[in-house]
Amino acid sequence: MIGRPGSAATTAAVAAAVAAAVVLALAAAPLVLAPYAVTVLTRILVFALLAMSLDLLVGITGLPSLGHGAYFGAGAYAAGWVTLHASPSGPVALLVALTAGGLVAAAAGCVAVRARGIFFLMLTLAIGEIVQQLAESWHEVTGGSNGLYGIPAARVGGAALVGDQAVHWWVLAVAATAAAGLWLLASSPFGHALRGIRDNEARMRALGYRVYGYKLAAFVVAGAVAGLAGGLLSAQQRLVTPAELGLGTSIPALLAVTIGGAGTLWGACVGAAVVVLVRDHLGASLGGHGSLLLGAVFVAVVYLLPGGAARALSMPRRRG
Amino acid sequence: MTTKRITRRRMLGAIGTAGALAALPACRKRSDDSGDATRSTGSGKRVKVGLVIPQSGVYAPLGTDMKRGWDLWLERHRGMLGPYQVTTVVADEGESPQTGVQAVQKLLQRDEVDVLVGIVSSAVALASQTPVKEARKVLVVANAGAGAITGASRTPYIWRTSFTNAQISSVMGQHLATAGAGGPVYLIAPDYAAGAEVLAGFRKTFTAGGGQIAGEAKPAFGKTQDYQPYLTGIRESGARAVFCFFSGAEAVSFVKQYSEFGLAGKLPLYASGFLTEGSVLDAQGDAAIGIQTTLHYSTELDRPANRELIAAYREKFSATPTVFTVQTWDAAAVLDRALGTATGLDGDSVAAALGTVGAIEDSPRGAWSFDGQSPKQNMYLRVVEKRGAAYVNAVVRDLGVFAQVS
Amino acid sequence: MPAWLDTHLVSVLNGLAIGFLLFILAVGLSLVFGMMDVLNLAHGVLFLTGGYMAWAIAGEHPSWLGFAGALAAAAVVGSLAGVGLSLATERLARRSHLDQALLTLGLALIAADALSVMFGDDVHAVGPPPGLDGSVSILGSAYPVYRLAIIAVGAALAAAVHRIVERTALGALVRATVADRQMVSAVGIDDRRVRVAVFGIGSLLAAVAGALGAPIYGVRPGLDATVLVLALVVVVIGGLGSVRGALVGALVIGQIETLGRSLLSDLASFVLFGALALVLVVRPHGLFGDPSGTRS
Repeated sequence: MIGRPGSAATTAAVAAAVAAAVVLALAAAPLVLAPYAVTVLTRILVFALLAMSLDLLVGITGLPSLGHGAYFGAGAYAAGWVTLHASPSGPVALLVALTAGGLVAAAAGCVAVRARGIFFLMLTLAIGEIVQQLAESWHEVTGGSNGLYGIPAARVGGAALVGDQAVHWWVLAVAATAAAGLWLLASSPFGHALRGIRDNEARMRALGYRVYGYKLAAFVVAGAVAGLAGGLLSAQQRLVTPAELGLGTSIPALLAVTIGGAGTLWGACVGAAVVVLVRDHLGASLGGHGSLLLGAVFVAVVYLLPGGAARALSMPRRRG
Repeated sequence: MTTKRITRRRMLGAIGTAGALAALPACRKRSDDSGDATRSTGSGKRVKVGLVIPQSGVYAPLGTDMKRGWDLWLERHRGMLGPYQVTTVVADEGESPQTGVQAVQKLLQRDEVDVLVGIVSSAVALASQTPVKEARKVLVVANAGAGAITGASRTPYIWRTSFTNAQISSVMGQHLATAGAGGPVYLIAPDYAAGAEVLAGFRKTFTAGGGQIAGEAKPAFGKTQDYQPYLTGIRESGARAVFCFFSGAEAVSFVKQYSEFGLAGKLPLYASGFLTEGSVLDAQGDAAIGIQTTLHYSTELDRPANRELIAAYREKFSATPTVFTVQTWDAAAVLDRALGTATGLDGDSVAAALGTVGAIEDSPRGAWSFDGQSPKQNMYLRVVEKRGAAYVNAVVRDLGVFAQVS
Repeated sequence: MPAWLDTHLVSVLNGLAIGFLLFILAVGLSLVFGMMDVLNLAHGVLFLTGGYMAWAIAGEHPSWLGFAGALAAAAVVGSLAGVGLSLATERLARRSHLDQALLTLGLALIAADALSVMFGDDVHAVGPPPGLDGSVSILGSAYPVYRLAIIAVGAALAAAVHRIVERTALGALVRATVADRQMVSAVGIDDRRVRVAVFGIGSLLAAVAGALGAPIYGVRPGLDATVLVLALVVVVIGGLGSVRGALVGALVIGQIETLGRSLLSDLASFVLFGALALVLVVRPHGLFGDPSGTRS
């Protein structure tokens, strides 16, 4: 079980090579696939980023959250509002989205992170529902139940992002960068500390780690990245509604993390692809029974693939 | 353990290959624009229509009615709209604006339809402006009622054969102001955009006619099952009548509880017609008797076109049509006329042709015409009665022709 | 008495009715979590199944026989489903609690869709049995008799459940397992049968609550999600694993949903989750929960 010297570096190199290959394939996709398939792929990328941010919280830090959609939605609304009313610049909107997600997460996290287990779960649920209700009620700013529609195309480097190809490349660039950042964070000492907290919080506290601070930091980072994903949604879908904030987003994200295997960030991407394809596409071709299929796939994965797709797909290697 | 992992990996590999094979149809060559122009001038002309209706979730029953209306119209017109043979592609609007916009994008990008019809939810209709404008295809909205869809900032590509939320309620407001409501009226509708538009429409014409508002309540949309707190508030307010707007499950709960808590006999209930339209009326039962509503259609309208529709619908589906059926039926009728005179199937030609359609004389709801891009139509005052074993919205009076109200 | 007091007292009474209905629904969820650390997210679908049983068997104008039959059918289907769920989650006993909870969620998604295929997407109403379908005048306003019957039934069930948990051997086992599961198995008791029994009874109660609640809530797709969230809030506020907690939590939520909405009409939509957030911030283990923190 204890690895050979140098195996960690080899594993990391292999992982980096695979990741680069995947990104290249995704970048080439719009040149090969039909427009609708590209739109679907873009949507998967946005959801994958959300799932990765949730995996940081659930899989790596061990804090299961049922309200992650709130930060996703906060970022989406912020980006949408800015693009509608202030500036059509794509990067500016994303920066605002990142900040919005992080701020809302910071406010929520101060309170939520003190709880543990099911109480943390329920508190994040309550916060998520409150934020969603806020979006529905505050219709002067958020547009109420109709949401922010008719968001103009984002402008990147002077050109407007119209058409499936341009949008896809923008989303891919941002998502890949953010994913790389998350991966670096997870591999850093900070990430190891989070895993320690997940595995044995009391011992970490005994070792002198300020557990509350670490958990809150993880919560804020996860919220900020979720907000960034929301900003990408706003640029891709050109529509933000309160449905983005509630359980309709939080639950599929949690399912994606579990299908993919909690704890490995790339597993969440696989899970996200599975969820979107099963629910929205297989389900649509079967006459609107997407949730039944998703439930069935989920049950099958939970029983047959413990550790999710990530464990099943990974090479035998030392744990950790 | 090694054999198990290999088996799992093989399984995942098989799934992956299957998935890749399934994705192959997505690797079509990107279509070039010239394809659209050649299609309309060839012989054996065909038009592809995308029907966006809810097939899952709380609005699914409306989607069923709409699809039936569409299919029945085509069946009785040899499957043709104008000179074109119709291929209908259905997409599920789902429950949220996200799924609705995805359905619209799928129809436009993958199925490459020429015209879109349908849409129940106003949020989806408003959000569809962007993809429809960019694809330059016409969308005929067959239900969504938000005023903004065909209001000041409308796009020429979106037309509507249904109603605006405020149009229906402003008629009731005017009627109650002239006929007298017996005192101040209490307003109640769910807390979402449509509810706000309906109440605003009522309030404007009712107060302009001298009416008094006793109070207002906005229960949480989709989250309220028990209306007792609001019903006691109504009683407390000193109102002599209530005007409300609910649809679907909330309509059933509200009407039943209105009766259970003793308000049914004491405070007359007025509403926008959706409170008692379709299958909710059966669920409400005796509790709905006496409720007066305004709507642009009733199954009890004594017109030959309506009687024909009801007979044909009953024979084919063993059910009674609803306002949603008629709205989609009329969408087909309107497209039939437009495509008969349009110079092509692209959005600009069809939109221009829709502008010249004129009056639709043979609609089951009565003669109507477009006011801008939304119907100007007769509004009927209806009251719920029990006839035999069935509950119906009997027509009390035709209140006249009303234009769209934003 | 002044009119405004009358109307608020009616809200309080209604809060009791809703509260007792929520108690019947939530007590199973609380005990299952307390005993097995399994958060049964299929609890809402069990309620909806009971409701559909009521509609299919009793219908809109039921006779007493029809209504009783509906309750019996709900009880049978509920307990079978509970046993099934218990066996399903037991196979994952060594996995994380999140996995078990999400498994029940996956099963709930399947069941909800199956119900919509079986019974259609329309909204349906169920009537109360004859004799209970009228209204009586209370404090000057009409109040449905059926809801008063729910208060009576709920109180009786609460007393019965309390008696079972406090006075019988099964109840002692349940309380012991909630307090310290490992000790119970160390003493040599096969807690598996107890767990299946508790899961079965808890699910039975949820389905019966659905049948009893059908004349108030109706049946429609999507009701399961609404009701699940209510049950979770009740259980978390009241404290997990405690019957007394479930009762107090349910009555408190009942009052929040009725009196809360009528007093704070502008903030009505925020009242429920605001209260939950408040309780969790002030007392993270709920009002009657175990603060020793062995469960997290």
